[in-house]
Amino acid sequence: MRKIPFWRQFFTQIVLVVIGLFVILPIWGMTRLALDASLIGRPTEFHLFPKQFSFETLLKVLDKPYQSVNFSVLLKNSLTVSLGAALIAIILGASLAYAFARFRFPGRKPGLFILLLTAILPPIAFLLPLYIFLGVLGIRTTLLGLIIVYAVFGMPFCIWNMRAAFQAVPKELEESAYLDGAGILTTFGYITVPLALPSISVAALIAFLMAYSEFAIGWFFVEKPTTLTIAMAIYAMVQTQYNSGAQPWSYLGSLALIMSLPVVIIFLILQRTLLEKMLFGNPGD
Amino acid sequence: MKIPVRYGRIIKILLIIIVIAIAWALRWRAVTVLPVDYDEDDYLRAAQQYAALIRSGDWTGFTQTNYRPEHPPLAKIIFGVSILSAPEAPLIPDRSSSADPDQTLPKNLLRDARASSAVLGSLEVLLLALVNPLAGLFLAIHTFTIKYTSQVMLEAVPAFTSLAAILCYVRANKRKTRSGNLRGMNTWFILSAVFLGLTAASKYIYCVAGVAILIDWLIWSMEHKNLKRFFLQAFLWGLIAFLIFLLFDPYLWPSPIERLRSSVSFNAAYSTGTHVQEVGYPIWQPLTWLSMSVPWSGNRPAFVVMVDTFITLLAVFGVTRLWKKERLYGIWLGVAMVFLLLWPTKWPQYILTLTAPLSLAAVYGLSALVVEPIKGWLSRRKEKTNRDKKSNLANLRRVLPWLIPGSLFFITMALIPLLFEFGTSLTNLSSASIRDGLHGGILRAIWQGLTGQIEVSQITGRSNQVEFTGLNAFPYLINYISGSGLLFFNIMWTLLSVFLSTGLGLAVALLLWQKGTRFGRIWQALFILPWAIPEYIGALMWFNIFSPEVGWLALAVKRFGPNFPFSFFSGWESSTSFWLIVLLIPAVWYGFPFLMLAASAGLKMIPSDVFDAAAIDGADGWHTLRFITWPLLAPLVIPAIIVRSIFAFNQFYLFRAFFVFDNGTMANLSYEIFYNGQYAISATINMATVLILIGFVVLLNRWSKASEGVNYA
Repeated sequence: MRKIPFWRQFFTQIVLVVIGLFVILPIWGMTRLALDASLIGRPTEFHLFPKQFSFETLLKVLDKPYQSVNFSVLLKNSLTVSLGAALIAIILGASLAYAFARFRFPGRKPGLFILLLTAILPPIAFLLPLYIFLGVLGIRTTLLGLIIVYAVFGMPFCIWNMRAAFQAVPKELEESAYLDGAGILTTFGYITVPLALPSISVAALIAFLMAYSEFAIGWFFVEKPTTLTIAMAIYAMVQTQYNSGAQPWSYLGSLALIMSLPVVIIFLILQRTLLEKMLFGNPGD
Repeated sequence: MKIPVRYGRIIKILLIIIVIAIAWALRWRAVTVLPVDYDEDDYLRAAQQYAALIRSGDWTGFTQTNYRPEHPPLAKIIFGVSILSAPEAPLIPDRSSSADPDQTLPKNLLRDARASSAVLGSLEVLLLALVNPLAGLFLAIHTFTIKYTSQVMLEAVPAFTSLAAILCYVRANKRKTRSGNLRGMNTWFILSAVFLGLTAASKYIYCVAGVAILIDWLIWSMEHKNLKRFFLQAFLWGLIAFLIFLLFDPYLWPSPIERLRSSVSFNAAYSTGTHVQEVGYPIWQPLTWLSMSVPWSGNRPAFVVMVDTFITLLAVFGVTRLWKKERLYGIWLGVAMVFLLLWPTKWPQYILTLTAPLSLAAVYGLSALVVEPIKGWLSRRKEKTNRDKKSNLANLRRVLPWLIPGSLFFITMALIPLLFEFGTSLTNLSSASIRDGLHGGILRAIWQGLTGQIEVSQITGRSNQVEFTGLNAFPYLINYISGSGLLFFNIMWTLLSVFLSTGLGLAVALLLWQKGTRFGRIWQALFILPWAIPEYIGALMWFNIFSPEVGWLALAVKRFGPNFPFSFFSGWESSTSFWLIVLLIPAVWYGFPFLMLAASAGLKMIPSDVFDAAAIDGADGWHTLRFITWPLLAPLVIPAIIVRSIFAFNQFYLFRAFFVFDNGTMANLSYEIFYNGQYAISATINMATVLILIGFVVLLNRWSKASEGVNYA
């Protein structure tokens, strides 16, 4: 194929700029809120740029964002819950994914179907049963409870993704490892996992993100402010804002930015992997 | 086994008779049970006037009488004839058309006029049953069709005549193909024009059937290179229809142009007038009507079966087949649908313009969804032998170590909860009985209920004990979510948002994939951002722009005045149609990066020599995209579309951020109901969601398998 002519390049870039503006616009709107020190309460005037540019609120939020909880506590909770959920989903999910990818056994098809079923279930469906189960186990209001809840949400998707990745690993490689005397676990650990690692990390990222940004269901599993996550704090801020209008919007903007930033960075780093390893496989086979 | 032609015919006749009997029985029940609706008093008054004219033999009076002159008089005259045998009653007073239904109409007259409607309604079913008995059955049980062909409404006559016009035209065409060439107009053609004229003389909007005929005719003529003849004949055909219309609209005779103009312009003005505006139906309201059964009913249920939702659903899946096999009906359905969407007046009775082709489409849908899969399954079942069962069992021993750790967690934390959720939907667990529920009340209720020890209880529980309700909540809930328009909104939302984000995602991927596009990496990194931002935050960012009063847009309009670009969006919160657009913007914003990534990944896997070959063969850009890129890309993108659709169907945070509580998805409704303490009902909604999504995934999967036939070879 020849390189595209100038007019086409020009046209392409114009379209891309328009889409770029569409992508940037809301992000910039929130950033402006966060960086404007003149904002007290709700915005009353239109400004494209902050009227009084400062990082003040951004730093204030890092100190004490919501009620009496420290930002460090919120962040710690968020990270514990999200990493824990992603780890459980990946480790326990990987074994299931491998079983479904490599073996043919009785009950495989119904198993796949149930997997699909839980993947398409709205998370709200797990709320009541998990509420009762974790209550019985006595860990409903702990961080561990939240970890389990979010692991359940993320797991079906992780299994789908990893199953496709394991299927893509050439069977011949594993077989030759067997022939050389490696055990099943060794083969899995040294051959299969490294080859499927990019996909596994994508699955982990998605499980992490799901737990990191969830609040509506998690809300029911929190009783003390010390187990709040960032997402829940933001939600609480929005709620109070709507009820009273007292919380400055710039706080909300700052917290939202701070929350998004780490994920955005991870996404940008993993961009290439994301591009190549988003596999879903065929649910039918 | 082959049934001889003769018996086949007898069976068909028997089926038609059964269908007619059902249609009549259902309509007669509606005639006797339905409460008086809007407009019935108006048309009954018109009927009384015509009856008086006939009794006194004042035939010239017909040219001066047409109560509610915006609608042509034929249907009203027929009502007049139908009440001749009943004893006279004082003339019903003249009231405004938006006045509340008058429940004190003279019983005899009402019943006779309604019965004439029902007769014509049953005849319409008969006509459709002649085409296909099952389609006739669908039309016979369609509650909206029953309702408006069992009341003193104008629908029954034009619904019947428009279907008749279509059938005559089909019949005429059959002859045409049989004799090889077209030898001028035959009787059936003329009959179809006559029926179209009668349709126009009853209610204008049913003439969409005539438009459909013309389109089909035009396509046929173009295919047979016979355009010249088409114009001549279509003109003649239209002329006949118009003359018949004039003949049966005596009110027009004294001053045809003036009266015709005023009646047409009334309808146009009415559609944009205050009465229609006040009701505030969104653009897609006709689709909402189609997605539900009649939600209004009197004290006694007027309808025995309420399955309109399923008929529409089947029709959706049958439309492509209908188009392929019986194009004319497909065109009819399409033209009527487009008209209903564009026409500002959205009264429910208007959908009767298309319930006949809809029923036919539903038949094809039934064959696509149910009959063919079962046939395929049966034939595959025969082929399958019990080979390699043994090795499977040996495999089980090897696979167990892999299965056990994951399964333990998965079964306890996902599968059992799922079953538990299903169990809960069989009870009436609520915040009042949660204490009992936590102490084993749910299991007790289910056990006792399933073993028949206790009676089935009411759906919404207020007692402090969990009670068994069985599957009772399901039909109630299906009626609720379809009747409130939620189900339809949810499906439309999914389709629109996935369609738009797929379109944008594909477009961006293609733009970036062109050889030599500058800054590709940077653009891609930028476009990936929305996906990296948590959905709720992204939704808040958009709410920050759109929120009334304090949003960016509202502030900008306040400062720069209404000439500001996009200012037409302000005030979106008061219009349902605008709501949808404003909410779709963040949905697309959030959804397209995912599809862009999937499409980019897919594009990289297509070997470039395919395109070289296409270029050598002289394919232009569009053809390359349509016939080469998309078929190769589809199997790779469709899984991503499925995943996106599931997310869109369960979309939750977006509606939450926009503070839209009464018009979100089923997930939002389920959450709200859960929050208000009706846990069992919330569970029932979730189960319904799962059922719908399973159907959806199975269908999409079939579709993607169908497109997999294309290889890279």
